[in-house]
Amino acid sequence: MTDPGEGARHRSPAFDRDARAALAAIGRRAEVARRLELGSAEAVLRSLVEAAVALFEAEAASIALYEPARNVLVFRVAAGEHGQGVIGLEIPPDRGLVGYVFSSGQALAIADVRTDPRFGRSFAEQTQYVPRSIVAVPLVDERGTLGVLEVLDKRSEASFSLRDIELAGVFARQATVAIRASRVERDTATLVRSVIGALTAGEAPDAGGVEARAAGVEALVAAALVDVGDPDDPLWPLVEQVAALRRAGPEQRELLGALLDVLVRQAERGRGRRTGRLRAPGG
Amino acid sequence: MTDPLLPAWSEPFVGARRDALRHLPPFGALDRAWAIGGSDGSGITVAIIDSGVEREHPAVGGKLVRSVKVELAADPEDDPVVLDDDDGLDVVGHGTACAGIIHAIAPGADLVSVRVLGPDNRGKGIVFAAGLDWAIEQGARVMNLSLSSKSDALFGLFHDLADRAYFANALLVCAANNVPGNSYPSLFASVISVAAHDLEDPAAWFYNPSPPVEFGAHGVDVSVAWRGGSRMTATGNSFAAPHIAGYAALIRAKHPDATPFEVKAILAATATPPPA
Repeated sequence: MTDPGEGARHRSPAFDRDARAALAAIGRRAEVARRLELGSAEAVLRSLVEAAVALFEAEAASIALYEPARNVLVFRVAAGEHGQGVIGLEIPPDRGLVGYVFSSGQALAIADVRTDPRFGRSFAEQTQYVPRSIVAVPLVDERGTLGVLEVLDKRSEASFSLRDIELAGVFARQATVAIRASRVERDTATLVRSVIGALTAGEAPDAGGVEARAAGVEALVAAALVDVGDPDDPLWPLVEQVAALRRAGPEQRELLGALLDVLVRQAERGRGRRTGRLRAPGG
Repeated sequence: MTDPLLPAWSEPFVGARRDALRHLPPFGALDRAWAIGGSDGSGITVAIIDSGVEREHPAVGGKLVRSVKVELAADPEDDPVVLDDDDGLDVVGHGTACAGIIHAIAPGADLVSVRVLGPDNRGKGIVFAAGLDWAIEQGARVMNLSLSSKSDALFGLFHDLADRAYFANALLVCAANNVPGNSYPSLFASVISVAAHDLEDPAAWFYNPSPPVEFGAHGVDVSVAWRGGSRMTATGNSFAAPHIAGYAALIRAKHPDATPFEVKAILAATATPPPA
């Protein structure tokens, strides 16, 4: 990573600080939007894995999506009696069958999974279920690979056929279209860069300034966004709850609105009291 | 599949559709005894561009003579770097599966592992291209590629590499990718593109006179080597390609003057005839 100071030498520290704060705020909003949108895309993805379980007569089906900011594949939706344990499971993109299918873009199926004791154990520790057979296909289009769809254990057969791989590919295409349509993969850094690019495009380039500025902007954006996806941030569980609430029915929504009103009023009173205490010694 | 939008590359090699593959080479059928009889692939180096190869796996038979890994350079302006990968590991199992299939057919061939799938997901197309470039430079005569790139931005680069391989007398054997859209270099004319047939016979391969996917090989319920010295049953075009790579190594060992297009012609002329 370039030293943020290098390309930004010509700017004042105050500008850098303000720009970094603004970028972090933009990045945070975009990340919140991404997670909220994921909520709506997830409904489509969930219906796809449910359909896959029904069509294949499989024990489980799930979709893992790639998160570029953290370089992990995360299982977002699952269906089937034995599928739920996988939700939230994270795997590096170069590990295991799902990682291979993601990085190579190559669909494949394996059977006799249990004959590899290490495979079975690591899988079972994480998901409480050891499959006999797996088919995994990439969620891919001409713009890149978004994740992987996997289906576990066809009840009627010991393994998945070529036709099964192709059918799973049809589901994967539907999922890819759904995700693209909801722009769930919107990359915050790309968004910010393109905005800054558009803003600075009109400026007259000084001697060697264009590249230096580009490098400075890159470094600044990278530094500002470094904490945006921090999984430990307590904001994310809240955002995900809100995303989940979008699926609530009208009556539930009314009740939730009333509950939230109470909470907001309480929070405001709490803030008032704290502010009052802070003011007291000076006043 | 009957969906015309779906490039079901395996379709011509499966079930009753196989009967339509009847094709008479203009020079007549060649004898497999002439093409590969007595050959074990000795003197030929096969590069496996994949997830790595487990050196100690019994299925590899101690024939892995070199392992390298390709990584992005620290400065994105620089070319990716090729480093020796002395651990001889395969974190997935897939490259070892391909190596085991090739070794079972051509036990005399030397194997070189070029690991292009690493933890860094950025620029993986560039890394893949750099691995292919390195293998061409090293003089590998056969290369097994069970992966491809869909990036239109890399069309030119892969086209150039496919041409360079062809002119350098190196044969690229690529697994067809059953997803819609472009796939490089598996759909270029100078490579051998392979899909799976559904017979349980590793010695059966079919020639399809309708490109782009010209060959069908064993790819359904294949017993393959996997990581940690284990074995697994696997299905996919990924496992069909190394069968053809293995037979290509046998042909190249027995007929060292045969060029890539001649090897392709010999594979076509010795293909399993469809049922009469």
